[in-house]
Amino acid sequence: MNIYIQAAAQISAQEPMGNAWFQRPLRFTERYVRSIDPNFKEYINPMEARRMGKILKRALATSLEVVRKTGIDHPDAIITGTGLGCIENTEKFLTAMVRDGEMYLQPTYFMQSTHNTISSQIALHLKCNKYNTTYAQRGISFESSLLDAYMQFELGKIKSALVAGHDEMTPDYFVLLDKINYWKKGEVNEAVLRKSDSLGSFAGEASSCFMLENKKTDLTICELKGVDLFFNPSPLRMKEAIEELLSKHNLHINDIDVVLTGINGDKDNDVVYHQFQQHFFPETPMAWYKHLFGESFTATGLATYIAATAIQKQILPVDYLYNRTSTLNGLKKILIYNHFQNKDHALILLSSC
Amino acid sequence: MNETIVVSGMGIITGLGYGKEATITALRSKRSGIGKMHYLNTIHADYPVGEVKMSDEKMREFLGIPADKIITRTPLLGIMAIKEAIKEAQLEEKRPRRIAFINGTTVGGMEKSEQYYPEFVNTEAYIAAHDCGTSCEAIAETFEGFDLITTISTACSSAANAIILGANLLKTGRVDAAVVGGTECLSKFHLNGFSTLMILDKEACKPFDANRVGLNLGEGAAYLVLEKQSDAKRRGITPLCKLSGYANTCDAFHQTASSPDGQGAYLAMRDALEDAKLKPEDIDYINAHGTGTQNNDVSEGMAIVRIFNENIPPVSSTKSFTGHTTSAAGSVESVISILALQHDFIPANLNFTTPMPELSFTPVKDNVTKKLHHVLSNSFGFGGNDSACIFSKIE
Repeated sequence: MNIYIQAAAQISAQEPMGNAWFQRPLRFTERYVRSIDPNFKEYINPMEARRMGKILKRALATSLEVVRKTGIDHPDAIITGTGLGCIENTEKFLTAMVRDGEMYLQPTYFMQSTHNTISSQIALHLKCNKYNTTYAQRGISFESSLLDAYMQFELGKIKSALVAGHDEMTPDYFVLLDKINYWKKGEVNEAVLRKSDSLGSFAGEASSCFMLENKKTDLTICELKGVDLFFNPSPLRMKEAIEELLSKHNLHINDIDVVLTGINGDKDNDVVYHQFQQHFFPETPMAWYKHLFGESFTATGLATYIAATAIQKQILPVDYLYNRTSTLNGLKKILIYNHFQNKDHALILLSSC
Repeated sequence: MNETIVVSGMGIITGLGYGKEATITALRSKRSGIGKMHYLNTIHADYPVGEVKMSDEKMREFLGIPADKIITRTPLLGIMAIKEAIKEAQLEEKRPRRIAFINGTTVGGMEKSEQYYPEFVNTEAYIAAHDCGTSCEAIAETFEGFDLITTISTACSSAANAIILGANLLKTGRVDAAVVGGTECLSKFHLNGFSTLMILDKEACKPFDANRVGLNLGEGAAYLVLEKQSDAKRRGITPLCKLSGYANTCDAFHQTASSPDGQGAYLAMRDALEDAKLKPEDIDYINAHGTGTQNNDVSEGMAIVRIFNENIPPVSSTKSFTGHTTSAAGSVESVISILALQHDFIPANLNFTTPMPELSFTPVKDNVTKKLHHVLSNSFGFGGNDSACIFSKIE
């Protein structure tokens, strides 16, 4: 069984849809960076878009982009990961409810407030009656979606899957998360994040979408070798998991060209990645990406996008390298390691093919 | 990969009470758990609900959770139910190697967020408890040893999809046991949401009745412990039943309404039967989604007619007992379906009097004693997220 990433699309703090930014990414100094939206008219009929919140427009546009690239308009599965779901609509309904004491409410925002609105709107647009689901497990929502698809390929239940990760960060939610130290208090820049001596990162948004298929074609970007989730793993359990993942594909620690981590400048967050590196991949280059995108529950979708692009282009620019000063070339295997508050952990292994 | 998946334990809490015994007793005596609202503080207190008759404080006390621990009602209900499931499956005494916990929820910590919104003055800690994943973690942390956890949020089919993911985790050998299901407390948020959609009945709901008006909201939690048949045997556990088939499809018709011919529901039932390698005539009882709304019952009813034609097995909606427990409904009704299998008993569809003109069948009006082999449980959600699970007696 092989699973290939056939197409990928993203909307983030970097230039949307394409990957021209990849070798010259934008840098930020704000605590809150919203995504750069594409011209949605190129993807969605304005009549349809009018009723949609930002996250839905982004989800639909990225989905339609991977559908267009692959011609797969009825994927066997549509699976979305989203930490917060359609939080903008949730807030609108909640605000009106609290403000007006449960009076004069309209159903529109409620109807599009549930997390599964995203996957179901994609299905509705594609008129796709097949498998459709949604994961909402904080920082590993995207990986949960990828795992679901992976297993269904393994079981022969599907031949194609549209897998996505979407989270928006509304101004109100930014403020709430600021109260519980999600964001740094002062100016944010690469040096501050690298220093990692205080709590918090900076806020970003993430939309990414991938079309997976069980056959290699001219379009194929890279191969998805594995995805695993862990809850509160001991170092021993993590060691076991890495060994299992590598040995399953006849790989050795040295075969991993780079470990792409979720280092984000928060001291409690980052120490876990440094320990991971020291314990399991002491010789392997370490990369990061959240300094270019901000923190988001489904940021790992962007990590997957970056790793896939790096494998396809055979280059990982120095902008992404945490502990090296020269570009990495000839990449074959990238391991993405992500954890959320040191509770939920996940590994994704991508390979050239 | 084709090994039989069995259910080796289950737990439940709903308006019918805490535990399987309380549930079967209420079902047998046709005593509905729907009634006057006690704990939710809303101006819509005149809507009848299937409320769990325990305050948060009472549950904290029962579970030994200190008053200063940040926890919302959704995970409290979940912990109540998971305790019963873990005990029956003897997960502590005869521990499987790797165990997954898959939780379905949509409301998450909303019931606290809506109290403290928008400022969360002096209650900042509840900000982090808002999202669905936090509820899952709070439940997972009460049992030492979950290796993998995640949350599914497909509205009212969340718990059914948790069952499906758990089965796939077992079939691919990723874990040796999976605790799967869902939990959801009543919140003003979704009570008001359903109210604006005008799909709440001010009286007891009447699923599959021509004069149905809408649904009654409920709350609750339920979990199943799934494992491979050979693992249950190795652990010396006598399973309750098999999970013989399941399917997830999408109606792809409308964000909140079901298609008139029930295409998504039809495909879910058809594919679940195919997965179970069963024919429609093998099904002895359908525990319907049956919300009691105009739209659902005609759509689901048409889909049932399309699958079963002339030979429609007994159908009932036990939402007439529990109310619509939304994200928990899939596992609440799976537990009820399995209790039906175990006791060769079909629970009544309460409050039914007038047949729907669109349908060629009527639901079961009274409790029925009948030998049951295969039971089908339907769970449908907003966004057309339709799933079906089939449970079978081990014979």
